[in-house]
Amino acid sequence: MPATTVLDATTADGALLVLAIVLPVVGILLSFVLGGRYAERIAGVLLPAGFIVACIIFLKVWQGGEPLIYIVGGWQPPLGITLRADGLSVAMMVAMAIVICLIGVFAHANFGSRAASVETRAPLVFWVMLMAISGAMNMIFLGGDLFTLYVALELLTFAAVPLVCLDGRVETLQAALRYLLFALLGSILYLVGTALLYGSYGTLDIVLMSQRVRLEPATLAAATLMTLGLFAKTALFPLHLWLPPAHAGAPAAASAVLSAVVVKGSFFLIVRLWFDALPGLLSVAASQLIGVLGASAIICGNIVALRQKRLKLLIAYSTVAQIGYLFLMFPLAFSADPSPHHYGDALTAGMLQTISHATAKAAMFMAAGLIYAALGHDRISELGGIARALPMTMFAFGLGGLCLIGLPPTGGFLAKWLLLEATIATAQWWWAIVIIAGGLLTSAYIYIVLSRTMGPPNAPLTLYAAVPKYQEVAALGLACLSVLLGLVALGPIDVLQVGRPEAPMAGLR
Amino acid sequence: MMETYPLLAGALLFPLGMLLACLWPGALLRMPSYLAFAPIPAFAAVLFVADVSPLVVGPPRLHLTFTLDLPGALLLGVAALLWITAGAYASPYLQGRPNRGRFAVCWLAALTGCIGVFLAADMVGFYLFLAMLTLGACGLIIQHETADAWRAGALYIGLGLLAETLLLIAFVLLAADIPGNGLLIADAAAALPTSPHRDLIISLLIAGFGMKAGLVPFHVWMPRAYAAAPTPAAAVLSGAAVKASILGMIRFLPLDTALPHTGTLLAAAGLFAALYGVVIGMTQRRPKVVLAYSSVSQMGFIVAVIGMGMIAGDGRAALAAIFYSANHVLVKGALFLSIGVIAATGRRYLWPMLLPVAIIAVGLGGLPLTGGALAKIVVDGPLGDGAANTVATLSAVGTTLLMLQFVRGLITTVSTDQEATAAPSLFWPWLSTAAASLVVPWALFLAVPEGMLPNPLAPELLWKALFPVLLGAILAAVVWRWVRRLPHIPEGDIVVVLDSCVKIAPAWGKTIEQAEGMLRRWHVAGISLLALTLALGAALLAQ
Amino acid sequence: MNAATLFGLCGAALVGIGLYGLITNPEPLRKILAFNLLGSGVFLLFGMIARRAAAAGLGGDPVPQAMVITAIVVAFAATAMAIALVQRLADETGRASISSDSSDAVDGEGKS
Repeated sequence: MPATTVLDATTADGALLVLAIVLPVVGILLSFVLGGRYAERIAGVLLPAGFIVACIIFLKVWQGGEPLIYIVGGWQPPLGITLRADGLSVAMMVAMAIVICLIGVFAHANFGSRAASVETRAPLVFWVMLMAISGAMNMIFLGGDLFTLYVALELLTFAAVPLVCLDGRVETLQAALRYLLFALLGSILYLVGTALLYGSYGTLDIVLMSQRVRLEPATLAAATLMTLGLFAKTALFPLHLWLPPAHAGAPAAASAVLSAVVVKGSFFLIVRLWFDALPGLLSVAASQLIGVLGASAIICGNIVALRQKRLKLLIAYSTVAQIGYLFLMFPLAFSADPSPHHYGDALTAGMLQTISHATAKAAMFMAAGLIYAALGHDRISELGGIARALPMTMFAFGLGGLCLIGLPPTGGFLAKWLLLEATIATAQWWWAIVIIAGGLLTSAYIYIVLSRTMGPPNAPLTLYAAVPKYQEVAALGLACLSVLLGLVALGPIDVLQVGRPEAPMAGLR
Repeated sequence: MMETYPLLAGALLFPLGMLLACLWPGALLRMPSYLAFAPIPAFAAVLFVADVSPLVVGPPRLHLTFTLDLPGALLLGVAALLWITAGAYASPYLQGRPNRGRFAVCWLAALTGCIGVFLAADMVGFYLFLAMLTLGACGLIIQHETADAWRAGALYIGLGLLAETLLLIAFVLLAADIPGNGLLIADAAAALPTSPHRDLIISLLIAGFGMKAGLVPFHVWMPRAYAAAPTPAAAVLSGAAVKASILGMIRFLPLDTALPHTGTLLAAAGLFAALYGVVIGMTQRRPKVVLAYSSVSQMGFIVAVIGMGMIAGDGRAALAAIFYSANHVLVKGALFLSIGVIAATGRRYLWPMLLPVAIIAVGLGGLPLTGGALAKIVVDGPLGDGAANTVATLSAVGTTLLMLQFVRGLITTVSTDQEATAAPSLFWPWLSTAAASLVVPWALFLAVPEGMLPNPLAPELLWKALFPVLLGAILAAVVWRWVRRLPHIPEGDIVVVLDSCVKIAPAWGKTIEQAEGMLRRWHVAGISLLALTLALGAALLAQ
Repeated sequence: MNAATLFGLCGAALVGIGLYGLITNPEPLRKILAFNLLGSGVFLLFGMIARRAAAAGLGGDPVPQAMVITAIVVAFAATAMAIALVQRLADETGRASISSDSSDAVDGEGKS
């Protein structure tokens, strides 16, 4: 490895990156100053503004073909902190901003605050935490050194935990505590890893690290600890103990954020770690091990989802399974005969799966929330007739399901196509079997839910509450997005490769 | 001649536009009355498009290509006819029934998928429209929402998705073999014989399309699905939709290259299905189920023709198979529609109605002067003179027997009201389908240049066609006279095995659920975290 | 054995005790304490790393020190949040448990 250190400089428009992180923080501070009644309005302005900023950054990176960089305070790394927006970051930023905005629209019904009403706790917490999640996610996508990423990850966890127990029921409090404690265990492991890496290389900057990294036990130990810590936070099977109760117990809007957005943050860090900070260091055996964990997540998650009696739990277990798909990209990217082509394909497939799962799953949780609101329960066996009462909601659920199954033209299909292509190109057919089995199991539980909801009601259907139209539209909008995601193959899919080295640095092996 | 592009685009966009119009509640309400109009542009395209210049949609990086080649045009033409008449039949059928809107949506989705598959020239488009067809068809099957319908729908969609995943893998493999970035089916088929994964791809294609075509043992969905579906839906599914698999085989398999081993296997599987369908079908009582088993048999026969073509590397077998399929589209469609017509007819008017049914039914067995006889003449060449031809004759005997059984079963479903007659809006679509099934094969047959095929009116050919029919009729008489009780075999025969598998599945699921519950305990998760840390560390160090 | 190694070993011991406590103790409050022990061990590790870089002539590498301060703040915030949750749970149920060894909380019907 040449030990040359290229000093990065702040690029033009680099300040936009700061804006993307600062906007939500401003919103949080303002909400505390002005009080809970204004929190929704502040979020209503700042979240779309964040989306616009993300879009501008996306366009700049896509058209410029190179990353945007901002060096905070002009201090160069290793001492200073860089913000760096490459193709992966901008794609994720835009996708998550859309999802968060639509969740905001949906949440108006449950956490909307009217000017005349008394200030209540839940809306304030929800909107503040939503903005915090948006800021933390942007920080995860843009952070250029591993310690900044640690801080962002902790911010994300601290913003997510209160969302689990918004309604203060005992079960949700327990779920939140479980989540918090297990996440803390994960973050400590990550922190140990950063300490070891800093001790070895004297820097935590991702670009510098990728130039200096050597194959030595301390590095591998650090990487192992960080990866496992992130597994715990991503709820990769069998470390998913906190996910089902937390995601199923939270209010619908919060479940959507947790399942669609929050788990993607720690997953993104794993990608950053192995693809950017420590390129070429993941051994074939280790990548196969990660693949096995992903595969068992797909099979077990789907089977357990099939056996669930409550809709929200079913969707939560489906998240466990879908997280497994994300990890199949590691054995495919780091195969025995590395080639830059498959490496890029696997990475694209993984990112596409991340984004399409985010849109589809958010839509499904919203649909489940609307059903819960209308019926007062979400027992699958008693959902008969609801499809007639809430057709648009069930349509959104079905479309989201299609995306999870991976039928064309959804984003899930494109991701599956790329994954299968990579399995064949790298001659690892066993992952193809897992992908097929996972798709069939997914279609089974989607079919069961749809058939129950379309069937006749057990008793005359009584709707407890009318469901506002815009909530259904928000769910349907997200579902349609997940379907149309397959069309990105026509356009900006190349953006994912911006700012990436052409090939993995296989010279290390 | 008209310009190609607008016609091709119209054929697809018109039903697609109607489908999208269903998003508007007002349009959805009226849509069931207009189903017959949706396939008209497709039919017009078949009549007026003269060349095979492709229609390319989308940016150059990833575009969809559509073209109307000869096999596609033949199938699309007859399929569009059936969709038109069945659509006209569906409008009165739906009057006053629940879920009319959903029926219209699923109908239009299946129709768009069907037209798209027949027109698609690239793999992405083919796959996309095939998936659309499967989803739409599943929606049609579950229309009545009975427990049987849901089970049939589950079986159909499960096997359909499995088939599509196998096809997807085959397509991905094929895409790797195509030089350049294109995804055209023609290029893929051309590159297939020299592909390093040739045998794997061909097995995947045959398994995938075989499931869709109801090849034994993947036929289990057919009897259940057609029995559960509403009559017009069963007509288009068994007539038109299932032919997508035949077209897929013809488009993707390298029929110009002699592949004796694969061809023999395919032909054997097809011929076995041709006889199996007849034998099991004989034990069935419900007319719809009898027709479904006849479909199993006929589809098997078509697959056998393709297989024989593969043995010889004779590309003409493809066209023969298409001709046979085209005949089957209209005949099977008309027979399914007749179920509804006869059920609405009283005993007094039964015989005038039953006569055309009997003619086209026995025509499927090869009654001289019908389309069935012409189809048998066309496939005679590819089948050769060996064992395959003998089995084909046997299957013709069996088909006649089965069809007579169907007509006999049909008589028992006649309306209890002596004076009842079928409504004209049911009667005319049925009669025009029946008429088309007699006329269209002749028109197609006469379009073949003279000298390529023998004269169908030659006495020895007439006798050759008539003798299996006579034999079948005698057998039928024997069976009805002397065989007291036929064994009772459940609809979908070997699906019973699958059912029992489904019964033991919950036990396995429970075990996995319990294991998963164990893993979710705090200390177990903590220990697995540590164990995984050690494992991953070891795996990283072992390099 | 120099000071850095000693600190490192102490850190490792603390991490070990903390991990054991976090995994085996059923009481949430004890888990939180164990987490803090674990954290202290990691902070010591940072101190050791800062100290090791001191050979260059500085009193210590400032970067790990900055990081450890941030990490302490984060750990403090985490502890505060966990304690708040435990307290709320205790208020609601009279005892604090995350019922980690039964899946009742998962399967039970959600009451609203």
